[in-house]
Amino acid sequence: MIWSWIPANAGLIWQLTLENAILGLVPPLLGLMISAPLGIACVRWGWLYPPVLSGASVVYAIPSLALFVVLIPYTGLSDATVIIPLTLFSLCVLVPNVVDGLRSVPEPVRQAATAMGFGTMRRLAQVELPVAIPVIMAGLRVATVSSISLASVGQLIGVSSLGYLFIDGLQRDFPTEIFVGIVLVIALALAADIVLVMIRRLLTPWQRGRRDAGAPPFVLTPQMEQNLPEGVA
Amino acid sequence: MITFESVTKRYPGGTVAVDALSLEIPAGEIMVLVGPSGCGKTTSLRMINRLVEPTEGRILLDGRDVQQGNPSVLRRGIGYVIQQTGLFPHRTIEDNIATVPLLNGWGKAKGRRRARELMELVGLDEAMARRYPHQLSGGQQQRVGVARALAADPPVLLMDEPFSAVDPIVRASLQDELIRLQADLHKTVVLVTHDVEEAIKVGDRVAVFRPGGHLAQVDTPERLLGKPADDYVRDFVGFDRGIRRLSFFAAAGLDLSFDAVLPEGTTAAEAVQAAKRAGEPWILVIDAQRRPKGWASAADLESAAEPDRLADARLAGYGHTFRPDSDSLRAALDATVLSRTGRAVGVDEAGHVVGVTSYDRLRAAIQAAEEAADQGQVADPDGPAS
Repeated sequence: MIWSWIPANAGLIWQLTLENAILGLVPPLLGLMISAPLGIACVRWGWLYPPVLSGASVVYAIPSLALFVVLIPYTGLSDATVIIPLTLFSLCVLVPNVVDGLRSVPEPVRQAATAMGFGTMRRLAQVELPVAIPVIMAGLRVATVSSISLASVGQLIGVSSLGYLFIDGLQRDFPTEIFVGIVLVIALALAADIVLVMIRRLLTPWQRGRRDAGAPPFVLTPQMEQNLPEGVA
Repeated sequence: MITFESVTKRYPGGTVAVDALSLEIPAGEIMVLVGPSGCGKTTSLRMINRLVEPTEGRILLDGRDVQQGNPSVLRRGIGYVIQQTGLFPHRTIEDNIATVPLLNGWGKAKGRRRARELMELVGLDEAMARRYPHQLSGGQQQRVGVARALAADPPVLLMDEPFSAVDPIVRASLQDELIRLQADLHKTVVLVTHDVEEAIKVGDRVAVFRPGGHLAQVDTPERLLGKPADDYVRDFVGFDRGIRRLSFFAAAGLDLSFDAVLPEGTTAAEAVQAAKRAGEPWILVIDAQRRPKGWASAADLESAAEPDRLADARLAGYGHTFRPDSDSLRAALDATVLSRTGRAVGVDEAGHVVGVTSYDRLRAAIQAAEEAADQGQVADPDGPAS
């Protein structure tokens, strides 16, 4: 390792980190904006959920590089070529989490809200979504971390990110550069995760002091229940 | 007043939950809907605030069809309490309680002030205002649920198995609390339960449902116990209904004896004489303030070389006392059964002995009370409760 390479290239490293952060953070946020209404619709109209979930899974199965290549004729080598596929990927995690989060709202709570005189939209905004936040945030954390790491792949089609350090280091047979790239991707993912945890704590003061405060509540979804072996309930 | 006009709820599968129910729930009273599971009592309750919509028939709230108008507006005027509390986990206790005031557009500060008032009303420490529901015990959560339902001062309160999830001691205290609150608030309360004891304890009137969504009997608790409409109701209210019915008869009608009540200064010989005259094997010894000291056995006093005065005699404890002026015959019977002598001591407010009862005297009083109640039933079928 030649550590002196780092200060000598601080400007480049900082720029790449920033680019990677933007490419990694924008998709999960866009994904959340899409999956919130989509998930709400899936809960409202149950028949919608299986096809949406299958669609998201199929998209997720497409290799990221292939999607980038497909998009190049339309979006060129802009950030959008990376952001659009990563946004689609995030749906595979976020939609089920929005759905599970909304379904984790205890039925008596929903019923009480209705009986108190909340209309459908008000109940959603003031009761169901707030109660679903821990589960939704858990999904957002997974989507963000994976998006930050996937963003580096965009380098293969020339969209600048920390991936540059891997490719350049490989071509020049210079391990220090590869090492720095890996550490920074991990650090970026960790930093984003910590920020998200802090945001969740701010949004859910009511979870403080609960035994499961760190983790989202474990909720058996109907699907999970169906998959349980006989006799376990 | 809430009126069910031949209301039927039929589900798409063909199941009939409620079948042509007609029922009048008078304003300011507690009406308990009781019955086994699947009898339609909860469905009936939920049709009042339109959580369930009837298939046929109408429900009138003070003469207005609940089907007309916006359900959310209707619901804000009807308090709702459920077994699982349904408290909002993400809101503090005060904000939970202030839910309906806030929905009605009160400011946050005014809503919270109202919440504090209600916390005091239902017996919750103000220190809990800023806590979250999961930090409270089951009984406290249920009190929050009641406070939340009362926050906007609705004239009607619906309660669905409100006390079924808490342990028996907490349940009893919550029931007492409801009775106490109702004495001040005079809400029209509809309470669903599967527990006959609860129905009889808290209800001004009780509607007994039978499976299939039919009404078996609607009556005051007293008359439900005294005159069950049929075998189903008789079985449902239980074989001990005769004893429970005694809770509705005042002990004031009890003929108390003072013949074998003697001050502690009485000599043993005099006491034995008095006991023989009264035909009583037990003498109640009282002190100078007429407070009970214990029971002396006339046989012991006569046979053994006993002390001169009752004050020095061996006494059996007088056990539980009862208050003829305020207790029921049930309390008198309990005190008698629990006493070693088969006799119970009646006292006044200050604890002074007013007389002694026995099984024979109780039996006569119970018969008289039952006859009077049954005749009252024939003469005045819509007479007041208890």
